[in-house]
Amino acid sequence: MVDVLIGVSILLPFIAGLLCFIIGNAKTRAAIIVTTGVVLTASALMLFQNGPCTYTPETLLGVSVNSIITFFDFALLFIILGIAFKLGNPLVILLTLLQIVPLAYFELKMAPHVEVAPAFYIDNLALIMNLIISIVGSLICIFGIRYMEEHEHHLHLKKSRQPRFFFFLVIFLGAMNGLVFSNSLLWLYFFWEVTTFCSFMLIGHDRTEIAIKNATRALWMNMTGGVAFVGAIIAIFYKTQSVEYFSLQNLINHSPEMTGFLLFPFALLCFAGFTKAAQVPFQSWLCGAMVAPTPVSALLHSSTMVKAGVYLVVRLAPGFQGTYLSTIVATFGAFTFVTASALAVNMSNGKKILAYSTIANLGLIIACAGINTPAAIIAAILLIIFHAVSKGLLFLCVGTIEHAIGSRDIEDMRGLYNTMPAVSRITIIGILTMMLPPFGMLMSKWMAMEAAANIPWVVVMVALGSGLTVLFWARWAGLFVSGPQLKEQELKKESAIKATILTMIRGFYPNAKWNDPASIKIPLVLLAMGAIVLSMAVPWIYTILVEPVVASYRPGLFVEPFKMGPFGLSSGVGAFYVLPVFLLSIVAYLFAVIASKKNGHRVVSAPYMCGEQYPDPSQPKFRSHLNTWRDYLAGNVYLQEFIGESKISYWINILSLIILIVMFGEVVR
Amino acid sequence: MSLISTSRVKSPWLIHFDCGSCNGCDIEVLACLTPVYDIERFGIINVGNPKHADILVVTGTVNHRNKKALKNIYDQMPEPKVVVAIGACGTSGGVFREAYNVVGGVDRVIPVDAYVSGCAPKPEAIIDGVVIALGKLAEKGKKVDQGIFERLEKTQSAITAR
Amino acid sequence: MNTFDVIAVIAAVFLSPLVGGLVAGIDRKVTARLQGRYGPPILQPFYDVFKLFGKEKMVCNYWQIFCAYMYLAANILTVVLLALQSDLLLIFFVLAVGGVFLVIGALAAESPYSQIGAQRELIQMLTYEPLIILVFVGIYLETGSFKISEIVANYHEPLLIALPLLFVVLGYAIVIKLRKSPFDISTSHHAHQELVKGVMTEYSGPYLGVIEISHWYETVFILGLCALFWHTNLIWMSVLIVVTYFGEILVDNITARLTWRWMLPHAWTGGLLMSFANYFWIYAKIK
Repeated sequence: MVDVLIGVSILLPFIAGLLCFIIGNAKTRAAIIVTTGVVLTASALMLFQNGPCTYTPETLLGVSVNSIITFFDFALLFIILGIAFKLGNPLVILLTLLQIVPLAYFELKMAPHVEVAPAFYIDNLALIMNLIISIVGSLICIFGIRYMEEHEHHLHLKKSRQPRFFFFLVIFLGAMNGLVFSNSLLWLYFFWEVTTFCSFMLIGHDRTEIAIKNATRALWMNMTGGVAFVGAIIAIFYKTQSVEYFSLQNLINHSPEMTGFLLFPFALLCFAGFTKAAQVPFQSWLCGAMVAPTPVSALLHSSTMVKAGVYLVVRLAPGFQGTYLSTIVATFGAFTFVTASALAVNMSNGKKILAYSTIANLGLIIACAGINTPAAIIAAILLIIFHAVSKGLLFLCVGTIEHAIGSRDIEDMRGLYNTMPAVSRITIIGILTMMLPPFGMLMSKWMAMEAAANIPWVVVMVALGSGLTVLFWARWAGLFVSGPQLKEQELKKESAIKATILTMIRGFYPNAKWNDPASIKIPLVLLAMGAIVLSMAVPWIYTILVEPVVASYRPGLFVEPFKMGPFGLSSGVGAFYVLPVFLLSIVAYLFAVIASKKNGHRVVSAPYMCGEQYPDPSQPKFRSHLNTWRDYLAGNVYLQEFIGESKISYWINILSLIILIVMFGEVVR
Repeated sequence: MSLISTSRVKSPWLIHFDCGSCNGCDIEVLACLTPVYDIERFGIINVGNPKHADILVVTGTVNHRNKKALKNIYDQMPEPKVVVAIGACGTSGGVFREAYNVVGGVDRVIPVDAYVSGCAPKPEAIIDGVVIALGKLAEKGKKVDQGIFERLEKTQSAITAR
Repeated sequence: MNTFDVIAVIAAVFLSPLVGGLVAGIDRKVTARLQGRYGPPILQPFYDVFKLFGKEKMVCNYWQIFCAYMYLAANILTVVLLALQSDLLLIFFVLAVGGVFLVIGALAAESPYSQIGAQRELIQMLTYEPLIILVFVGIYLETGSFKISEIVANYHEPLLIALPLLFVVLGYAIVIKLRKSPFDISTSHHAHQELVKGVMTEYSGPYLGVIEISHWYETVFILGLCALFWHTNLIWMSVLIVVTYFGEILVDNITARLTWRWMLPHAWTGGLLMSFANYFWIYAKIK
């Protein structure tokens, strides 16, 4: 049973991707994608039901799996080399060669045919990642069906390029599943490179000059990580002279005397994770990746691929617990958190805000991994879960809005609630789940802060970063509702109970129609509901999903850092009453909605404009000289003069490089 | 309800609008805020926003340009509200009454509840005028409690009717 | 939940507005005296709020009403959690909810005044939030817990002695949080207007009343935080609160308004330096 499920999780997307590529018919392709999504979700749920397990596939169609992966590994590297020559980019050529040559040397001379048992080690962390990839990923792929139709419609393409697009989008799911299941470092490396390659192809999908430029940048930055990965593989063998440590589990649970030997490989692997998670100074590739169509940004660059980087760091964290490396990783992550949040503040491009906020949150996860207490690891895993759902949702929202209004600038989203109430409502939900209690993100941030409190400089950076986070989220949420009061909707009479229920679900203007097709509506609604329901279920998610992960790291020695009480979670140093706060929030929400919908005398007035306002309150104008009407508009403060992107990026890169150099310097010593 | 009625007269927030005054009356109005007169001891606050105000204090003559602003500001004050016209110009147009560009006193545009004469009136007189207006405010407050709101014609028609 | 908790919650919900309103009244009276005026009656804030509730309802956008009530709810919850001696960080996060909804409500109106006020309010939040977290972390480092109940139970000397610099940082944050001069940037109490009334410009009538009451809760919360610095003795606690609040009023009266461009860098640098100095102090003591 397990073998089938694992096979489905990894191989089905590859097969479905190929089918998408071959079949030109849009309807059939849509059917394939939806079916794949459903099957993947089902298989992830069944795997989860089955619980942690291990599995070693011997052969696939009569050929040893190990050989297949080695073959494809080199095939992929040579394809990338070919592309690098075509791009004429010496840096990418060099980085590819730096992977091919050492890897070939390793495979041929040092340790041919390394067999790792078990090849797939599926613990709770892998199951959680699998659930995220399969469910959130599938929803995003389904969203992509309709989105890409409109996208190509906007571009006026002669020949549809969707087969190619969905080929990479769908096989990516398989690669991610393989990545989180693999126990062998070499297999992990293969899947790692597949995600890099998919990302490159998808960023450059539109083939505009800027898309190709940004794709190339993403490629070389991720290849740097690949080089570090190969370096780690060779370093492990060189230092230990055994293949024992090519199993991730052995690598993590090494005996204490080995720590000194393994620290350097750990540092290299963390570095690979940093590049994939777009941590500073590699943040520019993720921001550049925002030129890609929205489903790509949502799938690869927020909820899954970049999570591969943090997954690796979180996975390895117990291996370097209590070392110098751990503290540096924490510092590095916190530094990314505060700087990326600062950069997000001075963005007005919605997708860039999401990109920087993604980098910031990944930084926070890495900081948690670096803090490396059980509580911190739990916070990291919870952050991965909640961030995937909320951020995936927000990307889809921005994509939908962009198609509707033709802009992704948040200043253009002013008053969008009046024209697109449903999508705006869902976007606001997404934003609130990112920043406010009692939602899961904040709960995880609380755990992170309590865990970080013992390292003052880390907690200071987290504190500054979280202040900045509130700034850019709150202002974005506010912009959506900024607009005149609509008249026609209030006239509808409803019974009190019906009105209450409708408002509870839909907020204001419940009668407004939502005209998008189902393949856009369903992912949005499901993800929005998921973001709320998951937050409510956090005590159970904690006990069922997350706690066993950390418990398995230190069998027998594990003291649970948080206790699930009747009200929520409490730790030795604090408590987060999830359910009461949730209950009160719902009551407050209902009360506020009812108060604002109550009938009775109420004047809707134009804003105060010193007595010179335009008679129609729906138009922001004032009377100027010679009785002319002039528009007025207030813009956001982007703090450009303090933390403008061009001003501080240079210093951020320098400082982060210094931290990285210190990290390696100390480890090598 | 009685708590609210009591509070209305104990907490009148006023907005001061200078229609076309020579600033003589304005100086006297502001003098009321100084330690010598300290109108805050009656709970009076000089707010800058008609939406927060109960009393509109107008100084100066009304002309064709600023009558629209005057109407708009009056219209943006939530009920109950009263208007105090200050000085010779505010009450009747004063020496500018016959000028081609002048409409006249404040009461030509919006209803006025108390007149304070003088050129310029003393701060004591202004405070007295406000206190007289407070009586009217209490009466209007009773109407509001019964759900009767006397709004000026809508801003729209107020402007188009120039 | 025991009887004591129930009483604490009821007191927090019903007594806080009374205390907060009285403090606001005393604030206005003292301010007037400092300016050589007689000043309004102590009960003036209550008259103001009752009057506001008797005014006609006027809004630009229904979101304002929603946000005003959410602001109130968040502030009540903050005080309730404080009364339940809950986790400091949790209380802090709930406090942020209130601020966020106040800003969303202000942004909901298309008025330039309230829009700019909202932006400035966000910057004020950005300034004081890290400072308050720094103070809480200091409390944790000293007492080993974020939970007020455990701090009160296990730590037996005034926190002020161990964390004097952090108390100054808290004072700094309070001035910004209460929007008192020199940081009455987004809006101001009393009559000295800035941007008409900043974030409050478009809230009027009963909704302004709701916001005023929320502000009383906020004041009580702030005073509660100060009280935490001398939790061992009721008399000294009261003295500390009175002195702190008087200090705030004094600063309010003797300083002129500064811009956010001054506030942000200075508050952060000063706050960070003082916090770190105090952290070192704590570490040195442990070693």
